[in-house]
Amino acid sequence: MRRREFVGSVAAALAGRRLWTDDCPCGIPGVEGAAAPPFGTPWQTGQYDRILSKVRITNVKTLGVSLTPNSDRPYVFVKLETNAGVVGWGEATLEGKAGAAMACVNDFRDFLIGSDPIQVEHHWQSMYVHSFYRAGPVMGSAISGIDQALWDLRGKILGMPVYKLLGGPVDPLGVRGYYHAQARTRDQLVKLRATAVQDGITCFKTGPAGNTFEWIETHAQIDRAVKSLEMIREAIGPDIDIAVDFHAKTSPSVASIIVKEIDPLNLLFVEELCPPENIRALARISKRCTTPIATGERLVASYGFRELIEMGIVDILQPDINHAGGITAIWKIGAVAAASGISMAPHNCEGPIGGLATIHVDAAMPNFVVQEVCSGVAPGPQEKVWEEWLGFPAMRMVNGRFPLSDKPGLGFELSEDALKKYPFGGTRPMARVFHTDGSVAEW
Amino acid sequence: MPANIRLRSARLLPILQARAIVAGGSASDMEIREAVAWNLREPGSGRVYTILGIRTRSGISGYGECTALSRAEFEGARKLISGRPATAFEVTAPLLAALPSARAALNIAMLDAVGKAAGIPVYQLLGGPTRSKARALTTLEGNSDAALVDSMKRAQEAGFRAFIVPVPETTNRNQGQAYLLATRKRLETLRKAGGDGTDFVLDGGNRLTPGDAQMISAGIERFHVLWFDEPCPPANAGAIKKIAAENVTPIGIGRHACDGSEIQDLLREDAVDVIRPDIGRNGISQIRRMAAIAETYYVAVAPTHYGGPIATAAALQLAASIPNFFIQQIPWAAADQRMREELCGASLEAPRNGFLELPAGPGLGVTVNERNLEKYKESAS
Repeated sequence: MRRREFVGSVAAALAGRRLWTDDCPCGIPGVEGAAAPPFGTPWQTGQYDRILSKVRITNVKTLGVSLTPNSDRPYVFVKLETNAGVVGWGEATLEGKAGAAMACVNDFRDFLIGSDPIQVEHHWQSMYVHSFYRAGPVMGSAISGIDQALWDLRGKILGMPVYKLLGGPVDPLGVRGYYHAQARTRDQLVKLRATAVQDGITCFKTGPAGNTFEWIETHAQIDRAVKSLEMIREAIGPDIDIAVDFHAKTSPSVASIIVKEIDPLNLLFVEELCPPENIRALARISKRCTTPIATGERLVASYGFRELIEMGIVDILQPDINHAGGITAIWKIGAVAAASGISMAPHNCEGPIGGLATIHVDAAMPNFVVQEVCSGVAPGPQEKVWEEWLGFPAMRMVNGRFPLSDKPGLGFELSEDALKKYPFGGTRPMARVFHTDGSVAEW
Repeated sequence: MPANIRLRSARLLPILQARAIVAGGSASDMEIREAVAWNLREPGSGRVYTILGIRTRSGISGYGECTALSRAEFEGARKLISGRPATAFEVTAPLLAALPSARAALNIAMLDAVGKAAGIPVYQLLGGPTRSKARALTTLEGNSDAALVDSMKRAQEAGFRAFIVPVPETTNRNQGQAYLLATRKRLETLRKAGGDGTDFVLDGGNRLTPGDAQMISAGIERFHVLWFDEPCPPANAGAIKKIAAENVTPIGIGRHACDGSEIQDLLREDAVDVIRPDIGRNGISQIRRMAAIAETYYVAVAPTHYGGPIATAAALQLAASIPNFFIQQIPWAAADQRMREELCGASLEAPRNGFLELPAGPGLGVTVNERNLEKYKESAS
């Protein structure tokens, strides 16, 4: 395509709206009433006027959505409205902290209103850096929701799916994914294998038997965990990949014993072998085992992953697009990882918006390996609601892959009315799990 | 005011008043006026330890225990602590740095007194309870496999489910394959005799060379001992670090440590999976500090304990005040059970299905009987 035609197609996508300034300083249409932030911003001083688009964010909405009244993980959706009529959607879902995540998105409201959504990298930096106190999971989730909505807007304004804006796709057929193996007995696993072969599914995730693990464990508990995984490999077969999530229930001491014994199973990866605060503790395991190690769902921004990558501990990174800082952050983490030969298998266990956003980044990362969805081979009640909202079976695979959409932005339309059937049921307490003696356990 | 709330308030009043004395009352009420020591020797096992008692100006007594103290050590500590308030159980520790065992006993005694003044168990004073019961571990007696099995059977009847087992006797400075096979056989014999749900700590007992310790550590990886205790002498940190780096058998170490920095060095070197500070050398507060360091490495705490029943009470208070406690070693010997019960009124040392119950009374939760302390006092001291 010649350049003139390219420019023309962008212009067509803008549906006749003139969104780019050429020679003004000019006012910001439609946002006269925006509250003035305490410090002067570039667009107030006019410094950026010549080189910004004319699209401006006019409203920020935070929507809490509970699929059931007691939902442990109410979705937190972010909706950005603009003077151009287009809206952008993002997801800031944070389990157990829905209220805090929503409040944190609202803390960015004055900052966002009046700004140009095209300028996403600049806004990401501003939200992160100007917050002064660096982002933990609450701020990370808020920035994630806003960032996804900004990318959705960018795609819609420019008439392109986000994966194309990111330089993808690597594979037009979509991105490889895995379901959770919701099977425990040998018979269930054999049946699961048959379904996988029929549907073209190439990978599953599971966990070791045992609800909780103390930092030193008994023979019975370790033995049960090892035997459960040996049985899964035997029943699922050698030609389907298996990932095993330890969910940081184990200490480095206990994980080392289990992983060394299951090294011969040649798993695709073992995940979150110990809690995330002490990176060097994870190295204790990785030095004594050969199975590829994955982690990262609780880490925020590329900075949060730097030490893991630098120390050569991990083989696969699993940032969560709803916590790590959205599309902008996941793409960067992927770039840093690629330079060290590390693959990307993003975590995804919240609502459909974050899931769909992740697929766009996956499709544009050369070091992407596989995408999670917290769901089984048969769609559950939540997937049915997602389809009702979006009009297509979101986050369901076809032939082992999540298909890519040609539609602009994140590739879906969503109405607030559709969400009203599932009103916010309030922040639910986090899961509370205890050891035999009543002491606090990782879950 | 409804009657039930009035009743409840009336019941709580003495407790609240007692707490107020500790929190806001005159510091001098809690001033330590007296300190006494009893050196004890158990008739059956021959174990020796020192019980230390303090009394505050307001008349509250507190008891502690440590490894055997000499008269000179006790007198030195007594002078340093006299006149200081029992509530200063943390900040007086540096004064006693040169007398670690006396420091341990005084720390326990001060916490006992403060707990009694406040009307609450020590674990509540320290932010617990963090658990409702404490897993127990005891040492098997004997040197042959048959004797160990016999000892285990008796300990199982007493309610224990986890046992410390010595490595077999060594015949040479370095052992060959027969030694590994003998070690495995010992563990397998015990597991078979003990049944499912029986767990073992293999005690290297400070006697193996690094090479032997490495061979054993690698050779028992799949047996799943809880941990391998002191695989070789802990002074050889480089050797232990190598064993820890190359094998997944967890390593327990630290029974001689009486300083947080010793524990910190082991953790920084990735040389330890469970820290073993001795309650009789450290008391409660110092192990709490060590536990706080270990927590940042996801490392568990299993205090060593070779002493008497008051240290057991202290260890249980500690277990319920830290998050990363795993198991408490109890010196179990039927022969001295009566004496141990006489010293502190009740037995805290009888596990049920592998777990010890936590005392619920104020302070250490035991009533120390000074007449019986006199009765068992070691005459030679």
